[in-house]
Amino acid sequence: MPSNKVQSIKEELKEKIMQSEDAVFKELHTKEKYIEALYIKTISDETVIQDYVVKPFFEIATAETFLAYLQSHPKVKPFESEEQTLEELIRGVAVLFYQDFIFIFDSKVDRNNSVLDTTVETTIQGPQSGLSESLPTNLGLIRHRYPETTLNVESTTIGEISKTKVMILHDEKLVDQDVLRRVKEFLDEVDIQMFQTGEQLLDLIKKSNRALFPVMLVTERPDRVAVNLAAGKVVLLVSGSSFAVILPTVMKDFMASMEDIYQTYWVSIFLQVLRYVGFVTSLILPGLYVAVTSYNPELFRFQLALSIAGSRSAVPYPSFVEVVIMLFMMELLTEASIRLPKAIGPTATTVGGLILGQAATEAGLVSNIMIIIVSAVAISNFVVPINAFSFSVRIVKYIILALATCFGLVGVVLGFFMFLAYMVKLDSFGQPFLTLVQTKSTKE
Amino acid sequence: MNRYFLYLVFLNMLINVIIFVPKILIEHRYNGSVMGVLIAIPIGIGMNYLYSHSLNKFPGQGLPEILADSKHRWLVNLHLGSIQILWFSAGLITLLGFIDILSRFVNPEMPKLFLITIYLAAIFLIIQLPTKRVMYFLEIVLFLNTPLIGFIIYKTLTSEFLSWDSILEVGTHLFEKPSLKAMAAATYTFSGFTNLIIFNRVIKEKLKIWNFIIILFLGVFNLFTTFFIPIGFHGSDGAQEYLYPWISTSDSLRLVYSPIERVLYIFLMFYMSISLMSISIHWHVAFELLKGTFKEKENNKKNWMIMAAFMCCAIAGVLFLNTVLLNKITAYWMILLLGVEVMTVSIFFIWARRRTA
Repeated sequence: MPSNKVQSIKEELKEKIMQSEDAVFKELHTKEKYIEALYIKTISDETVIQDYVVKPFFEIATAETFLAYLQSHPKVKPFESEEQTLEELIRGVAVLFYQDFIFIFDSKVDRNNSVLDTTVETTIQGPQSGLSESLPTNLGLIRHRYPETTLNVESTTIGEISKTKVMILHDEKLVDQDVLRRVKEFLDEVDIQMFQTGEQLLDLIKKSNRALFPVMLVTERPDRVAVNLAAGKVVLLVSGSSFAVILPTVMKDFMASMEDIYQTYWVSIFLQVLRYVGFVTSLILPGLYVAVTSYNPELFRFQLALSIAGSRSAVPYPSFVEVVIMLFMMELLTEASIRLPKAIGPTATTVGGLILGQAATEAGLVSNIMIIIVSAVAISNFVVPINAFSFSVRIVKYIILALATCFGLVGVVLGFFMFLAYMVKLDSFGQPFLTLVQTKSTKE
Repeated sequence: MNRYFLYLVFLNMLINVIIFVPKILIEHRYNGSVMGVLIAIPIGIGMNYLYSHSLNKFPGQGLPEILADSKHRWLVNLHLGSIQILWFSAGLITLLGFIDILSRFVNPEMPKLFLITIYLAAIFLIIQLPTKRVMYFLEIVLFLNTPLIGFIIYKTLTSEFLSWDSILEVGTHLFEKPSLKAMAAATYTFSGFTNLIIFNRVIKEKLKIWNFIIILFLGVFNLFTTFFIPIGFHGSDGAQEYLYPWISTSDSLRLVYSPIERVLYIFLMFYMSISLMSISIHWHVAFELLKGTFKEKENNKKNWMIMAAFMCCAIAGVLFLNTVLLNKITAYWMILLLGVEVMTVSIFFIWARRRTA
């Protein structure tokens, strides 16, 4: 008979867990031996229990051999403490009570372990698969791409309720110890109830919870993770999220697409320049339009100035109203096309973009040139490869627009430089945000 | 970082267009400017060398830190105080001058008081950054603007309207008795080194000799362009008719194929950022020195008080000074600056020698 201690632990565990419907307490008997198993069937894999516990139980005759089998099985851990067992139990393990022993049998079901295709950061060439939603699979994917013995994996939990498992990966040989210390400090300080995905950290990094720019990169590509590990960065994998978080991240990383590595040298340089030009365009173009039409039409050569003024001749209000209306429409269109089902998406953009734009011009509500500018802004905004960053840029252009409305050309130029100064002020775990040349280059 | 030193000096060379240096030089073109400029070059380079050489003995430290353990507290305060007033006024003159230019050439209908608010906002954002970050920002601004400078200078030098005869005519007044005002104005070109008082914090290693060689060439070229190109464009007599000779010069250039036809606008947009940076650097020095003068602990309230004081000065300046008055004051201020610079450099040189000997 089991001793009293084991009996009391069993009773206590049962009492804490049995009120839910999916908890299972099973007893198995043969002539010589009997075993009890406690698990939650919705998060445990019953076939695993069947294969590794139930079948051997009936196949192995003597009690001692079965005990030896259990003790030597790789999926079986000995009992440590009651709290820890309970913790594991609600994560899907089975607790086995056999004779005087308590075993923890790893029967966690790994449901979302299929590798997903990249949908956010797509490239033309290079690997097309992203991370999965399962932590062990993700770790496996990364280890596969980064076969180094120095790859160090630690884990911690975040979230009062969700108790989400987070893995901290870094290359012991390459990582900046100061950065690693800062990252760990930051993770210890995170105070949140439900932690679902790495993106949530973007806001938590600022004490005030109001960050304008992301200072960590959230990616779905295992190749990007591997490249960044090789650059000495720290990577966080969050259980249940198909996105990894890369720290520290500076602007250069936000402007880099994985494709840069997969293209030839001059092509990737060209693409980089293109992105920066697009970035600046989407920032200052609306502001510049207001400044040029309302404050300094003499800036441009007079043919151009005349054609701008001519196209605006039917518009009954000042240029900034025109810009605000059109930008607002464009933002609505962008927002809507994210929400819409895939089948209706193209219709909405056609209706919104083409027909509305055309009609608005013909009705004399906005000028032709305004339509061109708004589309240029919208397109160039999405040239920025990392979404979180391009969303921030979307906001900044309104600030510059407001300054341009008040101060004209001076507002545009100074607004741009104030924005630069703000970025100079930012840092990501001790790395200045605008660092261009990192000591350890991302490109190998 | 060696190149940081170069940036500081280079920034001052660029900004002299705003701070009335060409105006003062052209005013005295027949009586002593040329000789003044020629004398200013060795003086400027010499001061650059001596000061940075003696500051180099304290790598990674600004003047407040170097003097922190001095026994003569009041002497230190007097020393730091005089520099910070002077350096604050340098920023102030640049600011007022540039606001005046903006209201003349870009936003004539906007009240100056309104125009200055955005400048003050941007400046206060920058001067509060740590010294190292200010330096980064300066590097970025210069990186963005240097191609433009090169382009504009290339355009002026290759312009068919540049009259070399006028330049040569002014050049013949070489042997006039040098004028003090012109000389002081010309040395301003080199006086970016005084920013090292604070920015020595980011310079950790020894300054190499090539820095000074580059400064010599840049300085000579810069003085030549500042002084002679407006004369070349407007003629030796006509040049003095303009309040801002260089701005009018850039307005005489035309880019035939560019959507922005008038170089004036490119020039002004480029100077918007350069002057922002110059004012911020000067005021950052003043701000940090002011924080270093009082030994108490840093707090936000004090920082805001300092900035409020800066703001009041700037607004008072906008309200009470007009261009002509500002121009006159600047001419005398330059002489004062030269005197204080010579004094500071020599005193510090001797002090540093004794200290480290």
